[in-house]
Order: sequence, then C-alpha cells, then structure tokens
Amino acid sequence: MACFAAFSFSMVISILTGPLAIVIVVSVVVGLAMVVLFGYTSDQKAIGIAKDQLKAHLLAVRLYRDQIPVVMGSYGKILRGTVRYLKLAFKPLLYVIVPITLLMVQMDRYLGQTPIPVNAPFLLTVHFSSSDALNDATLALPSEIVMTAPPVHIAADYQIVWRLAGTRDGSYEMNINAGGQSVEKVVCVGGGLPRISTVRLRGQFWNRVFSSAEPSLPENVSIESISINYPDRNIEIAGYGMNWIWLFFILSMVAGFIFKELLGIQI
Amino acid sequence: MKGLWSARPTRVVLVALVFLPALAHAYAGPGAGFAVLSSFWAIFVAFLYSFYALMTWPFRQLVRFLRRRNAYGRAKFERVVILGFDGMDPDLAERFMKEGRLPNLAKLRDRGTFSKLRTTFPAISPVAWSTFLTGVNPGKHNIYDFLARDTNNYLPFLSSAEIKGPKRHIKIGKYSIPFGKTQIKGMRKGTPFWHWLGEAGIFSSVIRVPVTFPPEKFQGVLLSGMCVPDLKGSQGTFCLCTTRVSDDKFREGGVRVPMDRKNGVYRSYIPGPDNPLIEKGGELRADFEVRPDLRAKSARFVFGPEKFALEVGEYSEWVPAEFKAGMGFTAHGICRFYLKGLSPEVEVYVTPVNIDPGHPDLPISHPVTYSIYLAKLLGPYATLGLAEDTWALNEHVLDDDAFLAQAYGNHEDREKMLFDALDKTKQGLCTCVFDTTDRVQHMFWRYLEEDHPAARDVPHSEHPQVIQDLYERMDRLVGRVMERIDDDTLLMVISDHGFKSFARCMNLNAWLHQNGYLALKDGKSESGDWFDDVDWSRTRAYTMGLNGLYLNLKGREKQGIVDPAEADALKDELRERLSGLVDPASGAVGVTGVFVTDEFYRGPYTENAPDLLVGYGAGYRASWDSVMGKVTRQIFEDNTKAWSGDHCIDPRLVPGVLFSSHKFIEDKPAIVDVAPTILKLFGLALPAHFDGKPWALASPAGDR
Repeated sequence: MACFAAFSFSMVISILTGPLAIVIVVSVVVGLAMVVLFGYTSDQKAIGIAKDQLKAHLLAVRLYRDQIPVVMGSYGKILRGTVRYLKLAFKPLLYVIVPITLLMVQMDRYLGQTPIPVNAPFLLTVHFSSSDALNDATLALPSEIVMTAPPVHIAADYQIVWRLAGTRDGSYEMNINAGGQSVEKVVCVGGGLPRISTVRLRGQFWNRVFSSAEPSLPENVSIESISINYPDRNIEIAGYGMNWIWLFFILSMVAGFIFKELLGIQI
Repeated sequence: MKGLWSARPTRVVLVALVFLPALAHAYAGPGAGFAVLSSFWAIFVAFLYSFYALMTWPFRQLVRFLRRRNAYGRAKFERVVILGFDGMDPDLAERFMKEGRLPNLAKLRDRGTFSKLRTTFPAISPVAWSTFLTGVNPGKHNIYDFLARDTNNYLPFLSSAEIKGPKRHIKIGKYSIPFGKTQIKGMRKGTPFWHWLGEAGIFSSVIRVPVTFPPEKFQGVLLSGMCVPDLKGSQGTFCLCTTRVSDDKFREGGVRVPMDRKNGVYRSYIPGPDNPLIEKGGELRADFEVRPDLRAKSARFVFGPEKFALEVGEYSEWVPAEFKAGMGFTAHGICRFYLKGLSPEVEVYVTPVNIDPGHPDLPISHPVTYSIYLAKLLGPYATLGLAEDTWALNEHVLDDDAFLAQAYGNHEDREKMLFDALDKTKQGLCTCVFDTTDRVQHMFWRYLEEDHPAARDVPHSEHPQVIQDLYERMDRLVGRVMERIDDDTLLMVISDHGFKSFARCMNLNAWLHQNGYLALKDGKSESGDWFDDVDWSRTRAYTMGLNGLYLNLKGREKQGIVDPAEADALKDELRERLSGLVDPASGAVGVTGVFVTDEFYRGPYTENAPDLLVGYGAGYRASWDSVMGKVTRQIFEDNTKAWSGDHCIDPRLVPGVLFSSHKFIEDKPAIVDVAPTILKLFGLALPAHFDGKPWALASPAGDR
C-alpha cells in the first residue's frame, strides 16, 4: 500500500513538474486566450448567422431527403456557406495566428527536442558557403564533449560532419574555426528542459525566427549554418508517446470548446 | 496609398506564414482548428448524408413509385398551393377589387374562381380550420369553440389540446423531480387530409394551419399554428413592467409587474412557467435591467447574457429567455421587449414568452427538427398560436402602431417560411395560413365604419386605412406566389370565414337570467366569472364561449336539472324566443338565427357539442363577460374595445373566400369540401367518412 502511494505520489509529482504539465497548462491558457481573442476580433453576429445557415442546410438535407433537387441544392448551399464561414473566420484567425505562432516557436525550443543523452553520439553538421572553406575548418571542443569518429567531408554539399558525444550534463560551447574566424555552437547534454537550438544560421531572418534560438552567425564567416541532430521529444501518455504539438492541438481545442461555451463566444 | 501601407503588415504576416517553414504550418491555434474542424464537419456530415441519400435513393424511389403510382399518375396537378388568409371577407375583397386595389386576386377571379366559401357552424377559426383539414363536420373532429366546458364543474378548458406534466415524479424533500415527457393530448379528432396524401407518397409542407398542435406524424413537414401555447402554457400572456403603481389587473391575457429603481437602474422580471420541481413553488422568473437615457429617449437593456438598446416606441428582436428551475431544469423561450415610455414612468411591454423554435421544450413541428430548421434558416420567430397580441391592444398597453409593427413582423416571418416551402415543395401540397388578416380586422374594423363605438374619439376623416392596406399587402403576397408557380400548380386562396362589425355586445347569460332560464343565488343580481354565484339547482340553460348555448342537462351536467325528455322542447323554446331578438337601443336584430346542433352535427363526438348555437346578427357578438360565463345586469351594450370586428355570428352572414387559379364548377362551395377536392385532384380515393364533396374543374386544361 505504501509502495503504491509512493509510486502514485511520484507519478503525480513527475506529471506536475514534467513537460506534460507544461503542455497542459499552456494548452488551457492558450485555449482560453484564443477564444477570447477570437470573440473580440470577429463579427460574432455574422458568424452566428453563418453557422445557423449551415445547420439549416444540413437539416434540409435530412428533412427533404426524398427530393433530390432539394438535397443537391442544399449541398451547394452548404459549400457556399462553408466558404462564407471561413471568410468570416479569416480576420480573427489572423489575429490569433500571429501570437500563437510565436508562442509555439518558443515552446518548441523547450519541448520539441530532448538534450543529447550523456555518452550518446550525435552529429554536428557545418554547412559552408563554398567547398574551399572545408579544407581549413577545425573544431575546438570543451573537455565534456569528445569526438568519437574522424570528421566526414562532403565536398559536394559543402559540409563537414563531426560525430561527437557528451560525457556530462550541461550546456557547452563548441568552436568552429574556418577562414581565420571562430564561431560557437551550443550543445545541451543530459536531461531536463533546457532551451535547445538545433541550428545556428547566418542571415535568413524568418528561418532564424522559426528554427533557431541562437544569434545569427557573423556575416563575414564562410559558414552558412551549424546544426545538431537532437532527438525528438515524445511526451508519454498512457504508454503512447506523441509530439507535444499534437497534445497541444488536442488539449487547446478541448479547452477552447469548453471556454467558448462558458463565455458564449461563437467560433 | 494609406490603404496599401496599412495592408502591408497583414501581407507580411501572411507571406511569412505561408512561405516560411514548418511550425506555423503545423498548427495555428484553436481558432484555426475550430474553423477548419467546423467547416470540415459541415462538409463531412453533408457528405455522409449525401452518400446515404444517394445510396438509398433508388430503393426509396422504388418504394415511393410503388406507393404513389396511383397518385401522381392520376393527379391533375403536380402541386397544389393553398394560401389560407384567416378571416378574409368576400364582400371586402370584392369591394377592394372593384376599386382596383387587388390586381392579383382580380387576376385569379378572372382566370379561375372567386366565390364565397361557406363556413362551419359556428364560424370560429379553430372549428373551421379543423373542418378544412379533416373534411368533416365538427361532430367528427370534436372542435366547437376555442373553449369546451367541464360538465363536472362548469369550468372551461382549452378545446384543442391538453398539456400535463410528466406522470412520474420522485420526491426528495421539498423537491418533486419529474421523470418522463410532458404529456400532450390532442383533442381534435379526425385525420388531416395530408395524412392521406402522405400515405400515397405525396409530400406536403404545412405551415401554421390552426389546430395542428400537437403535431401529428405524416409524410411531410408541418409547423403548428393557432392553439400552440406560450411557455406558461397559456394562449398568450403579455407582461407590462412598470414603475406606475396600480392595483388594476388586466381582464385577460396579461399581467402587470412592478419595476424597482435603484441607483438609476430599473429592475423587473418576466413571469415564466410554474416551477416544475417544487409543488406550489410559484412561477419561475427571468430578471432584467433597464438603464434609461432620458435625453436620448432610449434605454439599455440587460437580460441574461443579452444586451441591447431600444428607443422609446421600438421593439427588440426576439431574445432568448431562459427560466432556470435548478438541478439542470431550464425552460427555453423567446420574447420581444417594447419600450413604451421612460417619463414620467418607465414602462416596458414584453410579448408572451413563446416556445423557442430553435430549442423547443414542446413539440411544435413535425418532424421536431422542422421548427429548428426554420429557426436556423430565418432566425427566431413567433411560435405562439395567437402570436399577435390583441389583448395588449385591447388593454391599451400597446397602441395601434405598436400592434401593427408586431403583427406585420410575424407576418413577414411567415411569408419567408412560405417561400422557403414553395422552393422546397416542387411536387405535392404546400399550404400556409396567415393569421394577420384575422387579427388586423378584429382590431381595426372600427376605422372601417363611420360610427363605431370603439372609434368615436377619432373623426372618420382621420381613420387610418389599415384594413385596405392589409388586403393590398395580402394581394401583393398572392402576386409574388403567382410569379413562382406554373400551370402545373393549382393555387387556391381561401379563408375560413368572413368578417363583420362588432359594435354591440350581447350578454346571453344576462338574457337567460332575465328570462328565467338561469338563476343566481339569492340576493345576487350579477355573477362573477365562470358562473360564480349561479344557482345550478334552478338553472336550465347557460352559455360560455362564443356561440354555444348549453342545457343544464340531468345526467350530463353534474348539477343538471333538465330532464332529457324535456330537452327538445326547451331547445325549441329557446330557439323560438331568441331568434329575431331585437336590440331595443338600435332596433336592429341582435340574433338572426338559433341552431339546434342535433339537426346538423353528425359523428362520434356530438355529445361534447353545445345544444344550441346562437347566430348573432351583423354588428353583434357575445359580450366579453358572457364569453367568460358572467351574468351582468345589461343584455346589450356598446363594444368600445379595439377588438371591433368579429365573425362569431350567424355563420350564414360570414362566409369565407375561395379564389383559385383554375376554375371550379361549384355553386355553393364550402370549407368542408376542400379536403376531398385536394384528394381528388391528386387522384386519390375519398375516405367514406368525409362530409365534403369534391369540386369539379371547369376546364380539362388542368388535365395532364
């Protein structure tokens, strides 16, 4: 009994402090915020009418099911009504999409990948702007990161790939030297929920916004990007692992449906 | 230029979202999710339905073909459209056609039929429309008036339907939790003719035909009309919320509710149905607030989650009214607010709370989803049988304009329903009854005459042409319907009765009292409502309702004294003495005929019929008190109420109208003939119990 209680307690604690708890809390808050935002930025009356019309045409299909011309006409009206509804939902969606996209990008930094496990190999891929730069490129590693195989030069793709491993938990800077310049790339090793950047880029503003958590590479270096193949993080629920995005999708939808009813907002 | 710049951020975001990578594509939040899901769901359900419909269509068509091969195969028309204009009067129609006011009805007259349509005895809407839809006399459909009487206690009950709570209850402390459905028993007997059409595979759309509540199953769609109750279960109880202190009560049809003021906010409530969870728990209430703006002559209303502003003299749209009883029991209704005034008193009129058609607590349509379909398609609409609040105008709670705005608002909704039904019913029967004609004539006949007692304060030259406008409006409706039909459609415009002035009231109970047929308790010279203070041990005859006269028959009435063997003689005596009764004040005949019902009612329900029907002369009707079983001192008096026209008189004086797009050969068509005529037009055999006779088409042009 005591063992069961202790197990249950430890499960609750792990759930409450782990990524699942974060996803649940964020999903509920986002569900609420998005519904409220949708309510304020949409034409609620028009959306209500559009939805009612859609329901009416659906009912017409049922009520007049023996009258094929009426049924076919109703299908046409359902399609037109759907387009009208999507039009009405478009403007509030714009308001909703921007903040949520930015939020999700940030959440993905923490929840999208796990740190590299201690002593597990990982690949550091550096993409250069020309094949010439490959010849004099070197890698300087901190003591906690070791190289487990010689680098592979892929001249055709202007790439060098290093196979490395971390020996202790923590975040470490690795230095790549090329053309007399040195740039860093951070690698996270161990566990927890560190902010992970899978790639460091030069330029490419929008790509950096959506994919990178590190500053841009200097303009005068010959390196285009430096990436690490972090493993994807799966959140376990009842023995099934899933990407946090799917869980967030489901939970925020459920929360949104509940809040829309409570707040009387038409979506 | 400005527009371009202002659009730029949006474009940038859009381009970014569309062309930049991965994560934004993955998920765009619940809003997008809902939108996509909702749209997808609509399409998915539509697809499922269409798949189902298409897959099963051949089989259903085969079944329909087998069922209807004798119907459409021998039908004279693909479709029959019947417009029921309740109370349209043939004399007025003829007069207005002569004046050129009704070009579309005149077209029907010239190309097809225009005739008087004999009505029922009595000429009362629920009776006549019941005969219309069943094709039988009242002895077979059991409707003789709006009201019927309980022979045990001489009290009235609604003749068309009986509504009771669920049979089973579980008692927990003070609560009595109902289990099961509300019991609704239709009192109208007989089978509507669209049932026979449906049996033959012919589809019908039936909208607002009176006495179709509770709705019955058949192949088609039906929205119930007259006799649908409000949420309180009454035939319409309006509410006047007011700061004016008054102990006066409305005679009928409305309640006065006080309005309290606190910090510039006025609070009141709408009375709802009785609490179903607590015995004698009182009525449920829905509170609302009014925040007046005296300068703007307007006010803001807060009613549940609804917030809206009204100017003085303005109606709200239909707003949902929820009455919560607790434990999850909620009654759903809709109502409209009308801001009567803000100074010196704040007064708000609220319509009777109608059953919400989008969330009906009682079935008001067949199938149940039909009322929901119409509500989703057209928005909320009046469902109450007598939706035009004549009582409120009678009681001066509404003025003429406010009443007309309400009546025509309802009328427009019904026009939309009709045109939707016309679009959906390309084959079969499409029928819709408009009450507006009846209500407006009831309330505005006073302006049609030079010296009506109810309009003596308004010079005749200033009388508004309300009834003329009404007929023109109905004519335009006919015109729009004619534009949508072809020669394969038969259009009929009918009314259940005509109209005459109601300038003088006759209290028949007073006459019975003064002539020794009805006795009051010792020392009383008047009775209260519903025969309070009537001495039944000495009463031989009494009246309640609009035309019925009853003997206090031994063995039938609980305190009956008239020996059945003497009943015929008493009936003859009453007929003899009442027929030709003259109003001493005017010298006019107040009663032009008295009819013994045994002589013309046939059927299994004649025992519920009145013994005699009193046919009042033109200009006369049963007094308001007499209808409610009250004995007064005066027999005749002026009718000064806005309800100034009527038809509950000698039925021979108020026939209805019959217009049709194709000519019928019939000298004296009657409303009882409509059902057999329609069945015959669709090539169906007539049930043997029908009392009506089908009309013949004049020209073979209609033959297909």
